[in-house]
Amino acid sequence: MTTPGGPSTALHRPGTVGEAVAALAAEARAGRPVELLAGGTDLVPALRTGTRPPAAIVALRRVLELRVRGAGADTLTIGAGVTYTELAGWSLSPGLAATSRVVGSVQIRNCGTVGGALGSANPRGDLLTFLTAAQAEVLLTSEDGSRAAGLDDFLSAGRLPGELVTAVRVPRPSGPQTYLKIGGRQAAFPSLVSCALLVDRVRERVCCAVGGVAARPWRVAEAERLAAADVDWSTGTAPAALARRFGELAAAGVRAASPLGEDPRHPLEYRVHAAGVLAARAFARCLTARSAPRRESAP
Amino acid sequence: MDEVQIRLRVNGLERRGRVEPRLTLADFLREHCHLTGTHLGCEHGVCGACTVLLDGAAVRACLVLAVQAEGREVTTIEGLGTPENLSPVQVAFQENHGLQCGFCTPGFVVSVTALLRDNPDPTDEEIRAGLSGNICRCTGYQGIFKAVRAAAGNTP
Ligand SMILES: Cc1cc2nc3c(=O)[nH]c(=O)nc-3n(C[C@H](O)[C@H](O)[C@H](O)COP(=O)(O)OP(=O)(O)OC[C@H]3O[C@@H](n4cnc5c(N)ncnc54)[C@H](O)[C@@H]3O)c2cc1C
Ligand code: FES
Ligand code: FES
Repeated sequence: MTTPGGPSTALHRPGTVGEAVAALAAEARAGRPVELLAGGTDLVPALRTGTRPPAAIVALRRVLELRVRGAGADTLTIGAGVTYTELAGWSLSPGLAATSRVVGSVQIRNCGTVGGALGSANPRGDLLTFLTAAQAEVLLTSEDGSRAAGLDDFLSAGRLPGELVTAVRVPRPSGPQTYLKIGGRQAAFPSLVSCALLVDRVRERVCCAVGGVAARPWRVAEAERLAAADVDWSTGTAPAALARRFGELAAAGVRAASPLGEDPRHPLEYRVHAAGVLAARAFARCLTARSAPRRESAP
Repeated sequence: MDEVQIRLRVNGLERRGRVEPRLTLADFLREHCHLTGTHLGCEHGVCGACTVLLDGAAVRACLVLAVQAEGREVTTIEGLGTPENLSPVQVAFQENHGLQCGFCTPGFVVSVTALLRDNPDPTDEEIRAGLSGNICRCTGYQGIFKAVRAAAGNTP
């Protein structure tokens, strides 16, 4: 039998957020290492290899309030227990849908959740790149109450002990959004370099983040400034040359950031270049003028 | 031991067990239920050999803990067809050289069964995307692809 080794583990199966944070707090007070379990796609392999031997697991499947998606006047709220499969078909957020469709394979998307992606905070995680560009807020609850944190702060400071991610909140889309990534076989490997781009036609700006190059998903501020100034906001379009320039500035921006650990098979210089190519391509998809809907195959 | 009592339905039959919380669903099926059709290859979510249906959705049995299947319905390869009465997908695999050694086959058949249930008339691209979560070291995939095409034609 291949049950992951180590001493036995206590299991909590709360039915509400309140019960879940109470279980987290009780384990913390007892000084026992505790892990939350959502879809298990990151945690179960870690349990097996023994890299994380928790004394207790808090399984979140029965906490139905975490599985809710909601739409307010200006924002969308996505519960921590929402899966990639559920997001992949969500018409209210084309960007989240596009990102979720390219995560792993269907068997991973059926299990993997938003809360798990934030809990793992893998700097190459697809969702983190998109949520960085979308300026998401992370909603957290502990026994002491609830708070909202900007995604950047959440990623740099991490979760406090006893805290549970309950949801993320993003602004409602107000223009085209896209998500592009490159890497090895998608069903088996995380993306190597990714790029999320959101056009905000109301505030007349473009938000763009690159993953897989800097230590965490990186907003390319210079490129965003160029777009805000030079896109024709009356039509929401831009000439092809602007897409190239946008890509160059995006590459320069991410090159200046503190880098993700070196990877001999994919040197930093290659990933910087790829980030520029993806950013230019994402920009062109969302903003380059075209007379008819573009098709992937030539006529 | 912090063992936990679980109860679930596997291929329509109720199963109970006392399990360590970290026991995977794949090990529960193989060791407790003696349903060894669910194969274990990589045991970290990549190869797809362990694919089963959990409340109808294709999942990796090596990434799901048995306790997470409590109260739910699991369908394994044994629940899809029998040697005397193969499912349409199994027949298509047999007729189109969709298998050689057969190690990957249960995972493919389960994945394809869910794929065709959700999308009975897939495009070639949708078939390829649908197969991307399963790895086969023998066939080179062409026979598997043809089998899915054939099964799609046969699915009422
Ligand atoms: C074969 C394979 C392919 C993959 N491909 C991709 C890919 O292409 N792109 C990609 O981005 N990812 C990919 N992943 C990674 C994975 O699917 C995601 O990171 C997933 O979102 C994790 O969610 P989960 O629900 O499975 O988390 P779990 O494994 O259950 O938990 C992960 C971590 O998050 C913590 N956690 C869970 N819920 C919460 C919560 N509510 N609050 C706080 N912490 C919490 C847990 O304690 C744990 O530490 C892949 C994984 C596998 C196995
Ligand atoms: S054994 Fe589960 S995916 Fe390989
Ligand atoms: S038939 Fe041998 S691995 Fe697929």
